[in-house]
Amino acid sequence: MPRDLAPLDAAAASTPELVGRAAALNAAYRHHSAFAVMSRALDDPGVGAIALVSSFGAESVVLLHMLSVMDRRRPVLFLETGMLFPETLAYQQELADRLGLTDIRLIRPEAAALSAADPSGALYLRDSDACCAVRKVQPLEQALAPFAAWITGRKRFQAGTRAALEFFEPDGPRLKVNPLAHWRPEDVRDYMENNALPRHPLVAKGYLSIGCAPCTTPVAAGEDPRAGRWRGQSKQECGIHFVNGRAVRGPVPQAAETTIQTKADTMTETMPEAKTESAPPAGHRIARDDGFRADDWNAPFEPLANLNEAPAAALDLPSTADPAELSGRLDDTRIIRVDFPSFADGRGFTIAKRLREMGYQGRLRARGLIADQYAMARRAGFDEVEVSDTLAARQPEDQWLARANWMAHDYQARLRG
Amino acid sequence: MYQYNDFDRAFLAERTAQFRAQVARRLDGSLTEEEFRPLRLMNGVYLQLHAYMFRVAIPYGTLRSEQMRGLAYVAEKWDRGYGHFTTRQNIQFNWPKLVDIPDMMDHLETVGIHAIQTSGNTIRNVTADHFAGAAADEIADPRPIAELLRQWSTDHGEFQFLPRKFKIGITGSPNDRAVTRSHDIGLRMVERDGEPGFEVMVGGGLGRTPLIGKTIRDFLPKADLLPYIEAILAAYNAAGRRDNKFKARLKITVLENGLEAFRDAVEAEFPARRAAFSGADQQVLAAIEAQFAPPEFRGGDAAAYEAARAADPVFRAWADTNLTAHRRADHAIVTVSLKAHGATPGDCSATQMRALADLADAHGYGELRISHEQNVVIPHVPRDALPALHAVLKEHGLATANIGLASDIIACPGMDYCTLATARSIPVAQAIALTLEEREAEVGPLKIKISGCINACGHHHVGHIGILGLDRAGVENYQITLGGDHTERAAIGERTGPGFPADRIVPAVERLIDAYLELREGADEPFIDTYRRLGMAPFKAALYDQGNVSDAA
Repeated sequence: MPRDLAPLDAAAASTPELVGRAAALNAAYRHHSAFAVMSRALDDPGVGAIALVSSFGAESVVLLHMLSVMDRRRPVLFLETGMLFPETLAYQQELADRLGLTDIRLIRPEAAALSAADPSGALYLRDSDACCAVRKVQPLEQALAPFAAWITGRKRFQAGTRAALEFFEPDGPRLKVNPLAHWRPEDVRDYMENNALPRHPLVAKGYLSIGCAPCTTPVAAGEDPRAGRWRGQSKQECGIHFVNGRAVRGPVPQAAETTIQTKADTMTETMPEAKTESAPPAGHRIARDDGFRADDWNAPFEPLANLNEAPAAALDLPSTADPAELSGRLDDTRIIRVDFPSFADGRGFTIAKRLREMGYQGRLRARGLIADQYAMARRAGFDEVEVSDTLAARQPEDQWLARANWMAHDYQARLRG
Repeated sequence: MYQYNDFDRAFLAERTAQFRAQVARRLDGSLTEEEFRPLRLMNGVYLQLHAYMFRVAIPYGTLRSEQMRGLAYVAEKWDRGYGHFTTRQNIQFNWPKLVDIPDMMDHLETVGIHAIQTSGNTIRNVTADHFAGAAADEIADPRPIAELLRQWSTDHGEFQFLPRKFKIGITGSPNDRAVTRSHDIGLRMVERDGEPGFEVMVGGGLGRTPLIGKTIRDFLPKADLLPYIEAILAAYNAAGRRDNKFKARLKITVLENGLEAFRDAVEAEFPARRAAFSGADQQVLAAIEAQFAPPEFRGGDAAAYEAARAADPVFRAWADTNLTAHRRADHAIVTVSLKAHGATPGDCSATQMRALADLADAHGYGELRISHEQNVVIPHVPRDALPALHAVLKEHGLATANIGLASDIIACPGMDYCTLATARSIPVAQAIALTLEEREAEVGPLKIKISGCINACGHHHVGHIGILGLDRAGVENYQITLGGDHTERAAIGERTGPGFPADRIVPAVERLIDAYLELREGADEPFIDTYRRLGMAPFKAALYDQGNVSDAA
């Protein structure tokens, strides 16, 4: 099917005002660096509300890093088409953590539109343009609705179709900002090296431009970096970008609403990248000084909130709890379980210490720690650690018993007397 | 000086065995990389740009000669024959293999040195005045307290996974050489009505948000120290932010909640902590204090020193720059510069380490110190021994006479080694030192401090001239701050304006020096005083006003 060059009316038509504004901005920023364009575009009133659109692909880390340095709270739109490489999803997580970006929005195709247009998930075989339309173009249009401008990582060198790219482009109803337009491949590489940024894992395997898994292949030496996209087709762009005001792809099926999911948990930033056995373990056991044993507490733990209504024999405490607020309310409590949201988050140790200082005599259990922390838990006042079966498989009983000597070599005990 | 007892030795052997097992468990998959990471960090093992980096503590900057030889041995056997002394009284080895590190630990253990809590979100190596026990202006030797804090903080079960790293600095002199107000907790030894105690400051720090520590208790009785510090740590562990690494230090907790609210939280915590201490800590402290008794000083013949000083201008220049008043008039404190012009600030070869150890044995009662300014100190030298000592220093390239001068630069490792850095630091320091070599004696006391990123390991905020290297779209750019001060007059430097590219930063510093020489009221008005008298304007003009530049040229 010929890739027709008909403008996508609503999307491609920019007002003369916007075209003029883009030209003025290009003139004003002509001699600016990528960093300056990006930094000033974030707050330039001539630009307006702005979001970074990122594929978390081969070179995306450059703009993501710049944004993280300038303002980590700015929105980043990530098109999760449902067809991405698992490596891309893992890389997205890694970068979110590493760079501390706090407003990454996962843009997903709306389920109803997807089941109408691509019920079998094989649309890409038949009509890759239609597939891009339902998985990328339409969801992005919805997600961009609140914004007057968006930032992309496109560069002139990437493809012949991008050779005349400017910093600012009118793009339908909004402005598109391309801070890296003039960068050469070596600029990209230097920036990543100088800032010690992690690379997309597929780059090492020859993928220089990374899109959805079915339509991306590695690039051979000497090929255009985007040659691996839609290989064997004349298609060069997915349709979210236009060339000379025209979309380079076919018609769009009607799609309904887009799902936008804000990833609040990307706030965890570059804290020691900690992961606990986070999913509630299917099974668990208890580590004590004499090794593993089956859990002998079979009744449910009450969440802290329920303590307001009735005393609890077994209480779950989050690491945000303030033990001082439990004063006088623990008379009927026989076991407290303190949850460590990550083994690297040590608040629970101080909670245990405070509970003991308040005179709590009952059982005290920690959940979410690793074997190397057993002695710390015991010294802070815990009696036992709840160990998921998954963790126990990796860190068996002997690794916990290795720290059962927690009373030995204890400087603090020696100093307290 | 403090000698490890059986308890210390047993602890350290156990700890090294644990780390050896952790390395093995990482290799067999028992520990994931993310689990291993904080465990290796709390044992001083970093992953740097090229290799692992191993950071060893020199508690309160004090070393015996055999410990220095131990460092030399480790540098030669497992590294590339040198070590790098840091701004926090640590030494870093930049090229070890992970599997060798437990062996390095074992060797250091034999001379009573460890690497515990030199990294990670833990209570770090406690730093102290590098002239402690020797300085003429000292009220009390802070090192016994620092050793007590070392023991208390080591492997403290409650505080190994804090929101962020935690630094304690202590001084026993009114002239603050330990930068105490730039620490999470700064301690100043004071007396009230004859009773010894501490002024306690919290929330200082450099990094991207430089803040001067605030006094949370103007007098804390000596016996309350550990429980009070423990209360501060508990309040911080509970309240410190964990959602954002850059807001996680105590200084931000104090800044965001206010000093009063934080003080209330500490005081609420304190009684229970105090009750847990029976007084055993004070007995331990008394035993430590006995070990820090001064050496048996021999008489030093001042006449021999004066004769050498009169006869040899090179010796005189060195003596006038690198000696500090000792509490005994017949002794001197020698600062050995690790800032030879054009060398990497803080680097010391194994041969130099051995030479320093031998000199300490021959002339200095076997004692050495490492200063936060990345120099080596021989704290007690009889004055008549100084000429012989100087002659040996010269043989080893250690006789640079620049302490406190323009080329005595603090610089972080920068992009040549560090994964965080955004610009190079060491080459800039080298270039400045070479450029100013000829006239630094004329310029007089001047602190230039260089950091290769906003984390400020080079203390640029408190440099009289601070230089911060940034990355501007792949190009190094160096910002200048003026008027910072690391002493008891602590101040954060003020930015002059736009930064300079790498090839223009040295001329910019030269223009500042030119302006100062023209503006000062006399040779006895140091740079920082001229800056305080006149403010930013004339220096800014020298930096940015091209007319002035050509006039000056």
